[in-house]
Amino acid sequence: MTIPVGPRIGVLVLATTAFYGYVGQMVPQNEVQPPAPILIRADLTTDEMVDVGREIAEGKGLCRTCHTMGQTGALRFPDFAGVAARAAERVPGLTDIEYLAQSMYEPDRYIVPGFNPGMPTINRPPIALTDQEILCVIAYLQSLGGTATVTLQTAHNYYKPPAAAPGAPGAPGGAPPAGAPPDQTAPGEPQPLAAPPAEKAPPPGTAVAPAVPTAPAAPATGGVAR
Amino acid sequence: MNGAMNRKLLFVLGPVTAVVMFVAVVLIATFLTNREYREPYRAPAATVDATPRDTGLVDERADAEAKAKATIYQEAEYRTFPVVGSRVAIWAVAQLHLLFAAFVLAVPLFAFIIEVIGYRTGDPRYDRLAHEFTKLLSVSFSLTATFGAFLTFMLIALYPRFTNYLMSVFSPTFLPYVLLFFAEAFFLYTYYYGWGKFHPRVHLALGFCLNLVGTAIMFIANAWLTFMMSPNGVSDTGAVISVWDAVYNFTWMPINIHRVIANVAFGGSVAAAYAAFKFLQAESDEERAHYDWMGYIGNFIAIIAFLPLPFAGYWLASEIYAYSQTLGLTMMGGAFSWLFIIQAVLIGNLFLAANYYLWLGMGRVEGVQPLQKFIKYLLIGIALCFMVWATPRSIIATVSELRAMGGSAHPVLGFLGVMSAKNTAVNILILTTFMSFLLYRRTGKIAAVAWAKAGHAAQLAIFASVAIFVIFLGVYGYFVEASVRIGLSVPQVSSVLFAMVSITAIDVFLFRGAKRTGEVRWGKIPAISQYVLIFIAVTFTWLMGLMGYVRSGLRQHWHVYGVIRDNSADAFTPTLGFATQVVSVTVLLFFLLIGVVFWITSLHERAEYRAVVPSPERVPQTGGHIVLGGAVRERHTNRLS
Repeated sequence: MTIPVGPRIGVLVLATTAFYGYVGQMVPQNEVQPPAPILIRADLTTDEMVDVGREIAEGKGLCRTCHTMGQTGALRFPDFAGVAARAAERVPGLTDIEYLAQSMYEPDRYIVPGFNPGMPTINRPPIALTDQEILCVIAYLQSLGGTATVTLQTAHNYYKPPAAAPGAPGAPGGAPPAGAPPDQTAPGEPQPLAAPPAEKAPPPGTAVAPAVPTAPAAPATGGVAR
Repeated sequence: MNGAMNRKLLFVLGPVTAVVMFVAVVLIATFLTNREYREPYRAPAATVDATPRDTGLVDERADAEAKAKATIYQEAEYRTFPVVGSRVAIWAVAQLHLLFAAFVLAVPLFAFIIEVIGYRTGDPRYDRLAHEFTKLLSVSFSLTATFGAFLTFMLIALYPRFTNYLMSVFSPTFLPYVLLFFAEAFFLYTYYYGWGKFHPRVHLALGFCLNLVGTAIMFIANAWLTFMMSPNGVSDTGAVISVWDAVYNFTWMPINIHRVIANVAFGGSVAAAYAAFKFLQAESDEERAHYDWMGYIGNFIAIIAFLPLPFAGYWLASEIYAYSQTLGLTMMGGAFSWLFIIQAVLIGNLFLAANYYLWLGMGRVEGVQPLQKFIKYLLIGIALCFMVWATPRSIIATVSELRAMGGSAHPVLGFLGVMSAKNTAVNILILTTFMSFLLYRRTGKIAAVAWAKAGHAAQLAIFASVAIFVIFLGVYGYFVEASVRIGLSVPQVSSVLFAMVSITAIDVFLFRGAKRTGEVRWGKIPAISQYVLIFIAVTFTWLMGLMGYVRSGLRQHWHVYGVIRDNSADAFTPTLGFATQVVSVTVLLFFLLIGVVFWITSLHERAEYRAVVPSPERVPQTGGHIVLGGAVRERHTNRLS
């Protein structure tokens, strides 16, 4: 019995699409959820900030999409391993915190030799980390080959916490004292403006959640309330 | 006779009577039950409402009306589509619309090119071929418009706020779009119905205008979708600053070019599949010869268009990176990186199938033996490139295997998973397929020019030197830093393009006035070759579905990347397995509908339906066949006479 042409073609079309559908099942299956809002307690310690920062770097911040950890050779973007030590010395006049903050708020300001520009501005969409989240990421980066010193009260060129009076020295390891060269900006080039606290302070109830007395203690490993 | 009729009547009347009696019994029982005496219900004195019942009902209605009128208008952000959800519903409809739109844009382009060839060569076969393709247009055009309207309504219904935003940004483009659509309908129908009715140049001008207008329509629609991926001309909050900048965003022109080329390849492959379908159904050698030739031309144009497509893809990818490294890396190194392994399987299959078809096609030509010995080397080259391209950077492995490998990348094969290796593989793959074409082109011919030997040597030297250069750059990429390595793809692509152009140019002059060693015997090709053409069309369609998904899915939880966030329940990025299932179902639906298009198009080839009123004395001879209106088919009439 000869099978008519129509059914034969139908079987071929069905088998081909089924085969490609099957190939699709063979690759890793990851369902990517939108980043959940991260609430950061105001009393977060530096150690807790490191954990929060790691979570942000591996999730919402998308840092690990581009930056490797402990890899050498011809990389597309700078490796994270030992970044703390390099950050302190990368640009003369910038502390590690200032340098790391600049690399997130104004990533094209300084490009590491051998790499192309490409880092997105982290405090703007689509990543849009808050100032507090960026501080946590800085804490995490400081912990990679160094010791995290940043706190949620640390001021830098792009952020002044509401509690810190303008011009006041930052927390340990924080903003350079007044008069210190802020960055490597060329003469005449506009300086990055630190927005007034009222503007830069996160909207109430979104980013920084004030510690609620009745709230249970945050777990020692994270402190991220979702 | 009467006895038989009475028996039939009894068979019918029996059940009807039973049903009537059953209904009558139910009605009588209901009537009696409703009129049975019941003790009236008396509410306890404490609960009796002082308000009379009628007044209470009026008050209730008035309250409900007042509440309804006081309801504040709230714009719905999302609505839900039943069963499959809003995203999958929009996805399937958009994909079907785009596939038909691609077909409707590709076929005129394709027909126009063939008509031009026919006009210039004076070969009537080309004109017939172009006309035959154009027959597929009118039905497809209606389906495209229907799916377009369906998509618009679905967007308005399911994503009202986002659609409203998109419409507010692009409202100045709507009027030109509609006017162009009218113009397209005008040119399409005059092109189709005016076949053979105008001077050939007038008809060619109509075809040219049809293509021009169709391409302009696509460019406008591309602006809307590329804006969603790489928005431009709007403020951080989405306010429109410049409509032109919104149109001319980063990915607009790369998508335009990519789609024009891909449409030609897609149209060619579907047209070749149509020819294959007709070939397999053909009953005469003449028909087989025609449809074999038609399939060859369709596939030839599809593959010619397919060869530069990866280069257009490079450009698009580089613009995505230029717009946002995050977007680019999400595509190539993040959630979608494994999708490109699936793509590699598809493109590898396409190249393999296209080459296989060419090799089978060589059998049509007498005196093919001297060239057939090269096929095994081409096959080895293609297989090796396919393997490199399909090698993932990181391997799915168990924990112990990962420990043994020292990471997710295999210590040896991992090196084949990076872009240096993949760029090299795809360039060599293109070069190899091009050589297959070249071999096919010169089958049955021997160069007769005086410089034939030098010409062959020059072609071989260009091919070899470009292949070595591409491989050298691929290896060199492992030893340089990123900023240098990324730039190496440009000389790789340029050198392959140079090889293709220069070798073709030499070949044209080399085989001018060539000596023929054998004729092409159209129709003398194994039937399996026609299934290969259908396989290519399905693979190409599936590939379009997959790449459409990655283009759209890249935005992840954004309607407009970085501007309008997706807050719906479908904001997550599904697994690749789920995505491929949706693509498969959509492709099946498309081919089902294309089958309907082919069937409707083939209706005009059927014999005319002739209404014949049978004479009373002949009716009994047909065995009692009574056709509505007293008409019978022609073949019945023939049987009668």
